[in-house]
Amino acid sequence: MTIAFRDFSWTPVHGSRPVLDRLDLTVAPGERLLLVGPSGSGKSTALHAVAGALGTTLVGEASGSVEVEGRIGMVTQNPSSSIVADRVGRDVAFGPENLGLPRDEIWRRVDEALAAVGLPHDRDRFTSALSGGERHRLALAGALATRPDVLLLDEPTSMLDPVLAEATRDAVLRVVGGRSLVVVEHRFDLWLEHVDRVVVLDAGRVVFDGSVRDFRVAAVPEALWMPGRPVPVPVEVPADLVRPVEPITVSATDLVVDQVTRGLRGTERTRAVRGLTVELHPETLTAFVGPSGAGKSTALLALGGLIRPVSGRVDPPSEIGWCPQDPELGFVATSVRREIEATPHALDRAVDVDALLEAVGLAGRGDDHPYRLSGGEQRRLALAASAAHRPGLLLADEPTVGQDRGTWALVAGWLGSAARHGATVAVATHDPDLPRDRDVLLQAGEAVS
Amino acid sequence: MTGLLTRLNPLVLLAIGLTAALGSPAVRTLPIALAAVTTYVVFVVLTVPSWRYPALCLAVVLLPMASVAWSTWLLGGRDAEVAAVAGLRTFVLAWPGAVAAGYIDVARLGDYLAQSLRVPGRFAAALSAALQRVAGAWRTWHDLERSRRARALPRRPWSMAFALLVHTIRDATRTSIAMDARGFASAGRRTWAEPATWTRSDVSVLVTAVLLALLPTALHLISH
Amino acid sequence: MNSALTSTTRYRTIDLVTIAMLGVAFGVIFWGWGKLYDVIDLGAAVGFKPAAALLAGMWLIAGVVGGLVVRRPGAALATELIAALVSMIVLGGTSWGASVLLSGLVQGLGAELVFAVFLYRRYDLPTAMLSGALAAVFAAFYEWKYYFVDWDLTWRLAHLGFFTVSGLLIAGAGGWLLVRSLARAGALDSFPARRS
Repeated sequence: MTIAFRDFSWTPVHGSRPVLDRLDLTVAPGERLLLVGPSGSGKSTALHAVAGALGTTLVGEASGSVEVEGRIGMVTQNPSSSIVADRVGRDVAFGPENLGLPRDEIWRRVDEALAAVGLPHDRDRFTSALSGGERHRLALAGALATRPDVLLLDEPTSMLDPVLAEATRDAVLRVVGGRSLVVVEHRFDLWLEHVDRVVVLDAGRVVFDGSVRDFRVAAVPEALWMPGRPVPVPVEVPADLVRPVEPITVSATDLVVDQVTRGLRGTERTRAVRGLTVELHPETLTAFVGPSGAGKSTALLALGGLIRPVSGRVDPPSEIGWCPQDPELGFVATSVRREIEATPHALDRAVDVDALLEAVGLAGRGDDHPYRLSGGEQRRLALAASAAHRPGLLLADEPTVGQDRGTWALVAGWLGSAARHGATVAVATHDPDLPRDRDVLLQAGEAVS
Repeated sequence: MTGLLTRLNPLVLLAIGLTAALGSPAVRTLPIALAAVTTYVVFVVLTVPSWRYPALCLAVVLLPMASVAWSTWLLGGRDAEVAAVAGLRTFVLAWPGAVAAGYIDVARLGDYLAQSLRVPGRFAAALSAALQRVAGAWRTWHDLERSRRARALPRRPWSMAFALLVHTIRDATRTSIAMDARGFASAGRRTWAEPATWTRSDVSVLVTAVLLALLPTALHLISH
Repeated sequence: MNSALTSTTRYRTIDLVTIAMLGVAFGVIFWGWGKLYDVIDLGAAVGFKPAAALLAGMWLIAGVVGGLVVRRPGAALATELIAALVSMIVLGGTSWGASVLLSGLVQGLGAELVFAVFLYRRYDLPTAMLSGALAAVFAAFYEWKYYFVDWDLTWRLAHLGFFTVSGLLIAGAGGWLLVRSLARAGALDSFPARRS
């Protein structure tokens, strides 16, 4: 066996229940395993256990054992967190350096790994200049350069548009060869044909372990994105919670916007939006779609008046709701309740906190610390907190990415209800299932339809 | 203006500033101050690629120079010459280092710290990894500012700094897990993909920097 | 797997990376603070310069926080030193040149020494305040020698006094409160400081 969990349990510090609960699971050499489960079911923790992070980097109570034979290579959820050097070549070299290899062998492995993931001529490129898809491939190359026996991939495609997601999957399948592979994914249909076995976790336990064919017809948790299952029904939000104080139309003409990156060695400007003309109306949910890096997020920022355009005209309203992609960046308070009250209080507006908490499935969590919520809970809190003052314009950046069906239905429901009751809603998304009234397709910073 | 500074290794560039600062207390009289200032100006003019950056540095260094000179006049016997020397001493202390720091190739600093100064390899590698996250820290800062603006909340630097620190520590956790998955935890004897070479220019500028820093002391001894 | 069993001297990866990344974050914060402080400082110089030291404790907070969070020998010194390095090399960076790095070294040593005296076993409020205060004393002596050598002794003593109070309160108590808030936000779950 390459990986063997034997009666393994793990409870993180401050955790009230085990994240992994008496887990028994083995992975054979060369086996390709898909690991799925609702948010908080313990998928990432299982990968962390294999990677040796539990009890060292992450602190908590463990019992049972995890045995791993051979070297592991892991691509973490957010590839930007694994970048350790400013140039592509040096970043891939990090693993071989740790192994104490001689210099010529290091570079042989770097070139080999970069060629394998399809970045053959990029040794000297700046890692900061890589696109989202390229970052994933860089992280994969970094893992390959240590010549691992097991590849662990934590949601390798969740942040990517469908085209890039397939390209990334194909890159993985090209390099995996005879290695064992463990893939964790929420929207997993694109992996199903390429794995030997599927394991479903729920609340830290294995609830299904079998072939892909059996998996397709198995009774699995409702929150899973099973192929063929209808899109979840968005959860309605009461009109009083989302009806805008004042309906607003936002129009932009010939908008040109630069992203400014400030580093140690001065600032860099990249043109993100090139001449966008668009009008957003009340009672309409507009989805900005297009490939990763097309300028969707920047367009939203500019429409909300949160980034100053280089040229062009936009008249953002004085009151907006803005839900960033990383929910934690929006948090300002030390309790869920105060987080939701913050903006309404600043604007001297009444707010029914309990009704809002109920609407996003956080009833009874008012006293918790926002930073201590799970990923899905944070996403829902961020939405409620950014929209609690019932703004006329509501903007959300990738609001459904990486969420299970439960959170998805609440988020999609909120955005849809807000639009239906008079708000002007715009999202940047590559989720084809998110209900919307209208698409604006962006490509390289321009609206093509 | 030869642009020599752009071709030096990071340790030499750090040494220019450090030696200048360490040598500055010996600047105690006006003639010595003028000599030290002149030699550093000549040295910088000979080695920078253009006058713009040193001029910018001079503009920012003028603030501490003014502050030290004025307070020395006010609180140190109201002697104009002593105050002027204090201002010029601050110039020697700050300006050469500010200019040299602008040309440091941050990405190579870890290589040189580990290979030339024998700083422990894992520490040097962690420092290198952290140094290229500066752009990320700025981006986070802007995002924090934006979400507060959108939420009609005051943009208090204190609360934003706190959020930045929370974000930084969480990112450090994720980065540590990713680094350990690439063999960092057990990297007892790390190797380095690029050598830390010392060119003839590196050595000669280092020697020059030491000599320049010793000049005030030497002049002081001679004049006695 | 219990962290109480791991020794206090062995550095985990997360200890090294957190020191380095905290140092970088504080470096960026210092850089911004420095732009403001230069102006305050000049304003104070026109009036009563030693009083500017009342705000100088801010410069010492990185070392205290690094020491309180990571709790390993050298953590306080390294965090302060890296913060100084970063605030120095941000382009168009510091008005004090490489002197910032010397300051960082001296201040970090001051903060570190207090944790060392308690054998890296005490991380309560008094220890943090002592750490901030000693960092300030070291920093003040450095500034006497390098910046304010010609001031009359009275004023230098005033500067030392203001600086020490600032270190005690801003870096010491402020740093301690900051670490406690970080722990409450769940950011320190991987560190012994989570219990603070």
